[in-house]
Amino acid sequence: MKKKLAVVLMAGALAAAMGMSAYADEIKVWVADNVVGFTEEQIEAFKEANPDFAGYDYLVEPVGEGDAAGNMITDVEAGADIFVFAQDQIARLVSAGALEEVAPDNEEAVKTENDAGAVAAATVGDILYAYPLTSDNGYFLYYDKSVISDPSTLEGILAACEEAGKNFYMEINSGWYQTAFFFGTGAELTYETDDDGNFTACNTSYASDAGLLALREIVELKASPSFQNGSAVGEATNCAAIVDGTWDSGAAQDLFGDNYACAKLPTFEGSDGKQYQMSGFGGFKLLGVKPQEDEDKLMACDALAAWLSSGDVQLARFDAVGWGPSNLEAQKSDAIQADAALSALAEQLQYTIPQGQYPGEYWTLATSLGDSVISGELTVDSSDDELMDALTKFQDTCISYAE
Amino acid sequence: MDVIRKFFRAVGENIASIGTTFAQGDAKTRLSYLIFGIGPLMRGQIVKGLAFLSCEALFIWYMVSFGWTYLSKFSTLGTVETHKEHRVTVYGDNSFLILLFGLLTIVLIFLVILVWRMNIEENRYEESLLKAGKKLPANKSVLGSLLDGNFDKTLLALPVLGIFLFTVLPIMFMICVAFTNYDKNHQSPTNLFTWVGLDNFKQLFTFGSSGFGTTFLKVLAWTMVWAFFATFLDYFLGMAVAILINKKGIKFKKLWRTILVITIAVPQFVSLLYVYKMFANDGLVNGYLMKWGWISSPIPFWTDPMLARITIIVVNIWIGIPYMMLIATGLLMNIPEELYESARIDGATPFQMFRSITLPYMLFVTGPFLLTQFTGNLNNFNVIYLLTKGQPQSMKMAENAGQTDLLVTWLYKMTVTNTDYKMAAVIGIMVFLVVAVTSLIVYNMLPSVRDEGGFQ
Amino acid sequence: MEKQQTGSMKRNKMIGNAFAYAALILISIIWLFPFFGLIMQSFRSYDPKVEYGGMVDYIIPKHFSLDNYRFLFSGETNYLRWYGNTLIIAFCVAILQTIIILCVSYALSRMRFKGRTLLMRFWLVLGMFPGFLTLICLYFLLKQFGLTQAGAIPGLILVSVASSGMGYYVCKGYFDTIPAALDEAAMIDGASRAKIFLILTVPLSKPIIIYTALVAFMAPWCDFVMASYIAFGYDKSYNVAVGMQRWVWTNDYQGYFTRFCAGGILVAVPVTILFMFLQKYYVEGVTGGAVKG
Repeated sequence: MKKKLAVVLMAGALAAAMGMSAYADEIKVWVADNVVGFTEEQIEAFKEANPDFAGYDYLVEPVGEGDAAGNMITDVEAGADIFVFAQDQIARLVSAGALEEVAPDNEEAVKTENDAGAVAAATVGDILYAYPLTSDNGYFLYYDKSVISDPSTLEGILAACEEAGKNFYMEINSGWYQTAFFFGTGAELTYETDDDGNFTACNTSYASDAGLLALREIVELKASPSFQNGSAVGEATNCAAIVDGTWDSGAAQDLFGDNYACAKLPTFEGSDGKQYQMSGFGGFKLLGVKPQEDEDKLMACDALAAWLSSGDVQLARFDAVGWGPSNLEAQKSDAIQADAALSALAEQLQYTIPQGQYPGEYWTLATSLGDSVISGELTVDSSDDELMDALTKFQDTCISYAE
Repeated sequence: MDVIRKFFRAVGENIASIGTTFAQGDAKTRLSYLIFGIGPLMRGQIVKGLAFLSCEALFIWYMVSFGWTYLSKFSTLGTVETHKEHRVTVYGDNSFLILLFGLLTIVLIFLVILVWRMNIEENRYEESLLKAGKKLPANKSVLGSLLDGNFDKTLLALPVLGIFLFTVLPIMFMICVAFTNYDKNHQSPTNLFTWVGLDNFKQLFTFGSSGFGTTFLKVLAWTMVWAFFATFLDYFLGMAVAILINKKGIKFKKLWRTILVITIAVPQFVSLLYVYKMFANDGLVNGYLMKWGWISSPIPFWTDPMLARITIIVVNIWIGIPYMMLIATGLLMNIPEELYESARIDGATPFQMFRSITLPYMLFVTGPFLLTQFTGNLNNFNVIYLLTKGQPQSMKMAENAGQTDLLVTWLYKMTVTNTDYKMAAVIGIMVFLVVAVTSLIVYNMLPSVRDEGGFQ
Repeated sequence: MEKQQTGSMKRNKMIGNAFAYAALILISIIWLFPFFGLIMQSFRSYDPKVEYGGMVDYIIPKHFSLDNYRFLFSGETNYLRWYGNTLIIAFCVAILQTIIILCVSYALSRMRFKGRTLLMRFWLVLGMFPGFLTLICLYFLLKQFGLTQAGAIPGLILVSVASSGMGYYVCKGYFDTIPAALDEAAMIDGASRAKIFLILTVPLSKPIIIYTALVAFMAPWCDFVMASYIAFGYDKSYNVAVGMQRWVWTNDYQGYFTRFCAGGILVAVPVTILFMFLQKYYVEGVTGGAVKG
């Protein structure tokens, strides 16, 4: 049908180009660029172990977790059959019809072999929609030992940085890093979803004393001359400490050299004089399978997804690129226990909240809140009422997403 | 009013002509009302006849094999939902394609009516020629005229088709989208979307916390301010640089010009990104200023809303001056030297000469260019997006709009980041209105337009 | 008395010139500085054994190295492929777009036909719609022809060329200045319109043809919005802008900044060289366009 139209319109001039549309026996896989080679090797191993599925053409493309969800939603048909994404996108993907439920045969194994937080992250409503891949999407502190001797308090870190004329990086205009403060003081923000990925309820207490304490602390952090907004080691200049995740451990080692060190996030002294431990999200990377129109292909995709997210492959992936596994067995291995960055993350994870489902708008809303601080709309001189206004607006908007 | 009256008169005359041609025409002509081109074919006009006939045949084939399926669902945009059979997904109606191809089909129907009308007119014309005892043109000369008298049709056929398919049809589509609920919750092919009337426009003009109204006005205001400064600062500064280079006694004119022009050749996605990093809070400029002890904390070039706007305008001067310098250099040479000579004899200072000779001349000649620059700047995507991406955002703005967002970058974010196509379409229509209205107003203010009127 | 005056005038002129030179040198520094910075960064290694490759607060690298360029040519990424894609797109667009614009301009400048002004007005109005409005629609239109993802390169060429007829202003303005008497003389000699167009008008229009082709050639190097939207998820179809912007805009690529700079320098090479040689024509086109707008 479509082709007929093409002939009518293009008078056959472009007929040659039409042969290029995707075939049914091609399985497209999207992963981040640095694991493309690794994934290709694993697919070869998968084909050897499963000759039934070796007939498909497997095509691995470098599409990072950041772009994958957006691209899938733009055009599900042209999207990958199997793709890696950060868990905050799962509800959006489900409601756009870009995620197939985990095969019933694999469900039990996924639920028992991975840590509970990862399983919760892969579940929307009561349905398991994705295969957990990593449990390392959390953040902690990388710092320069020669500048900062005691990374236990935020005030101490900032004082050391200011004295040395170095920078402290934290991305306060990101909904992901911001929660370190809000959850730290006890403010809440979680959503409930139904099975189709629609948000049904929002539990939040940002517009409260706890929220106010957190926002006041963010504003005070911004006032430090050493503060810089950012969370990528590769983009940071003159940096003595940065709140960042395991994916940057290599870059952080390059940056700090012999003075490389990691720690859990510090505590901070709230404006009420009490000490609060910084909290935040513990997040996960997930592997998703796209809904298929062909039963056999769906089986092949399910099998490959199960393979790529299995404990052994997770461990091999850690060896290759340092991604921390979500598989319980793999987490117990010696190599992982000995890794400095993953240990710091493990310590921080005690204080964090497993990241559930959040609507896509939450992240951009949080950027607006953070930008209001960075751009100087909210400053240390702002009154409690002004800060509370912003928080109330934030909270109301958050609630409106669940209507 | 006059236009409307003319239009209706033309329609009336056309209908009357269709009737009289049928009443007075012979059998061949009457048959052509049903079968396109049969009249010319029977009169030996093979080329024209075949052209009409093939139009009809193609159209019928298109409707039967393709068009009707989409057109028939156009009023609902599809009703069959996507569902699962076992674990296999069976896709239902695709609202997107129904809307797109439904529109295409409607346009084609109009075109076929037009061809039908031309076919009748051709019959009438041939009959009148024959009645007057004249010969019909030979088939060869009909074809040959496509390279001579009708060469315009040959030249324009492909461009017009291209513009229709890739500009007109998409724009019609997006205008329709503004009246649907096509957004992230109603995305093809998994979900259906449908017509919602004026709901989206109501949302745009809702003021208060849930509406777009306040944000829209803020973004619009900054868009206008930006376009004004970006156009006129570049214009005058570029002219100044051109005058500087053209100054008598300055050597290496070509070298200075080349240095500036090089900046046009380097793609903006490279150069602007570097400039952005240079002025970042932890970038080179702040780094050096702090190292030298001139400032104690970084200047928030991009994070303070006001400063970010100013920085963008300044960086845009960096981009814009080379173009303007080139234009001004060429034009300045066209000003007759005698004008300056006589002014000099009258004892005019250089500034007076600039004000009373150079500037009026430049404004007169470049008026329309300034207008296109202005409207171009209203939609200047690259500079804003490559520098700040519209940030900083603010709690005071709706739907992710940032303090430095233009309408067009906001629209882009809605399309790509939020997949909120319905509101993007509404904003797009608004951008069109803004551009059209400003163009109209400014055009009537242009000296070249006014003077032309004055001389007539 | 007279001598004194010319002396002071000379002195004034010299002071004036000194100021002018100072201003010009300052302007040159400001305009060239970012490029100087870009070139310097491109010679800073990303290998931690040589030098730290992330963002730094100095301009001149401590060790000059060709690591970034080596990386680009090593085949670790599809950079060369992207570069080739962009070249192909740029060449095709330059040729096809020039042909289309010439055709449209000739028809609108020389021929008088029914609906001519209506067509011009209609196109003017169309041009007032913001470009990205139709992004999603164009994507699905091209997809119907299989011209996205794997077929994105012909797709991009098609989109750029299809609507180029609307950009006829400058070229038509130029044609308007070619005396109509020439056409008439040729017509009396029995030449057809097509012959006049090909044998008379086109050869007379060398400057404007070069200008049109040059502008068309430059645009694809900076196109990332359309290109990324059409080619997404298929690395081999990216153009340089799409491929490279991920190195600085997404978190998957840490410490790629110096490689981005090196890639950017290479992208600037062909356009800059063309520009050096064809500057004259560019100036002519830009100036002509401004006057006739």
